[in-house]
Amino acid sequence: MVENSARRKFLKKIGLYSSFIALSSSFIPRGLQSKVKSKPRVVIIGYGIGGATCLEYLVNYSNYMEIVLVEQNNKTQTCPLSNLVLSDIISYKRIVHEFDYNKFKNIKFVNSYVNKVVPYKKAVVLNDDTKLYYDYLILSPGVGFKNDIEGYNYKDKEIVPHCWDGSKNIIDFKRRLNDLENNSTVIISSPDYPYRCPPAPYERACLLANVLQRKKKKFKVLILDSKDSFTKKENFQNEWKTIYKDSIEWVSRSKGGQVVYYDKRNKYVKTNSGEIFKGDFINIIPNQTTSDLISKSELNSKDSWCSINPVTFELENYKNIFVVGDSINAWDMPKSAFSANSQAKVLSLNLINRILNKPFIDPVFLNTCYSFSTSRRAFSISSWYKLNKNKNKIVSLGSNTSSLDYSEGDYLRETKEAYGWYDSLVKSIYY
Amino acid sequence: MKIISIFLFLISFKFTIAGEIEVSIILENCKSCHGENYEGNEYISSLKMLEKNDFITRMNDYIIRNDSEVMSRISKVFNKSDILKMADVIYGRK
Repeated sequence: MVENSARRKFLKKIGLYSSFIALSSSFIPRGLQSKVKSKPRVVIIGYGIGGATCLEYLVNYSNYMEIVLVEQNNKTQTCPLSNLVLSDIISYKRIVHEFDYNKFKNIKFVNSYVNKVVPYKKAVVLNDDTKLYYDYLILSPGVGFKNDIEGYNYKDKEIVPHCWDGSKNIIDFKRRLNDLENNSTVIISSPDYPYRCPPAPYERACLLANVLQRKKKKFKVLILDSKDSFTKKENFQNEWKTIYKDSIEWVSRSKGGQVVYYDKRNKYVKTNSGEIFKGDFINIIPNQTTSDLISKSELNSKDSWCSINPVTFELENYKNIFVVGDSINAWDMPKSAFSANSQAKVLSLNLINRILNKPFIDPVFLNTCYSFSTSRRAFSISSWYKLNKNKNKIVSLGSNTSSLDYSEGDYLRETKEAYGWYDSLVKSIYY
Repeated sequence: MKIISIFLFLISFKFTIAGEIEVSIILENCKSCHGENYEGNEYISSLKMLEKNDFITRMNDYIIRNDSEVMSRISKVFNKSDILKMADVIYGRK
């Protein structure tokens, strides 16, 4: 929801920058509610990593299209680096970015929640039921969460927030963590695939251990996993052994790690083997699905994710609707900020080609996921991706991880590179 | 031994990008870390501050290096021709 102070600041900007039209949905001018116009209208919903990258690229072609951005917030809190905030390694401010509307001269901004997409009318319905018509619609709505563990409801404010969605709950999470006493047990329930940022549950385990270690507390971090393996497993296990001296324990799904029941009052979870684990701090990272907007609009496929054309990112079953980032099935590509950024570039360039009646480019994508185990130790996994021979799937060219033989200097270099990637990313899309 | 390990590292990729993909779209991905104008930042090298020949030398070095630095890992899919094309786009043809 839009905060009042942010909203005041936002409205003030309307007066200062007349070329930039920022409006609440109630004041959408007739032009935006009309279907008749000279240039094709591209509507972007969501100003996270994917949506902001699309805007960064499309805005250079605003002479050829009318661009409308719909976003309910006036600032964003990124998921990348958020585990470092939870563990007091970086400040909260480092991952919060106010939207710099002044950066764009030729776009229209609609400050609204989106209720629904109505493909057959080529319209989106805003929170006051006004319709915004599009020629091309880009959706970058992130993920949705499932309540498929008995006794668990991710919306319940009494339980530890999952902190997997860039919300302000991060403050509540930190407060609860700081309240932990000596000899505490922290439980992290890691979701089944596919989910946003695959290495992050294991990074979180390291960094929660790190903050407790710095507070000189005795603790145990238990990862109860809905999977039998995970990305960068050898790297993480190496960190758990060498840095955290086995105070972090991992239980795979086949060994009874999948959480199936949560008892909020008595602070325990039960797993698929029937075993009960008591915890002083239980952080359930829920299983994930496509975003609420996608599912409400019934744009997803049977597997719950969006099926897209990997050249254009257009939905298979709905023409002129494009989806980028965590809500799509991107085959070999993981759901990560780096992936969303890379995908959004291809989507935008090929949408420009489509509007200008030029041939599509053959896409190539890159992903590098950095993970931290301490403030000075980061490691990563990287891969290029391209299309298969039939050009209907995105396939990895082979992923490679940081060496287990890294020196302290190597880990520090990757730490700096992780910050460097993040700073370049947010600078290019938000500043 | 080193030659064998480099060879094994290279064939661990199912296929390469070389010659198949337009260089400009590859470079869009480089911008994710090096910045929209290759300007770099406090933590990542600026490509603009490099001379064209230095860029070519460094990239060719990453291709043959037997370490797991990020740049070494992601450069393995390129060949010398790709590097020259990238250099032409970033620094111009001169």
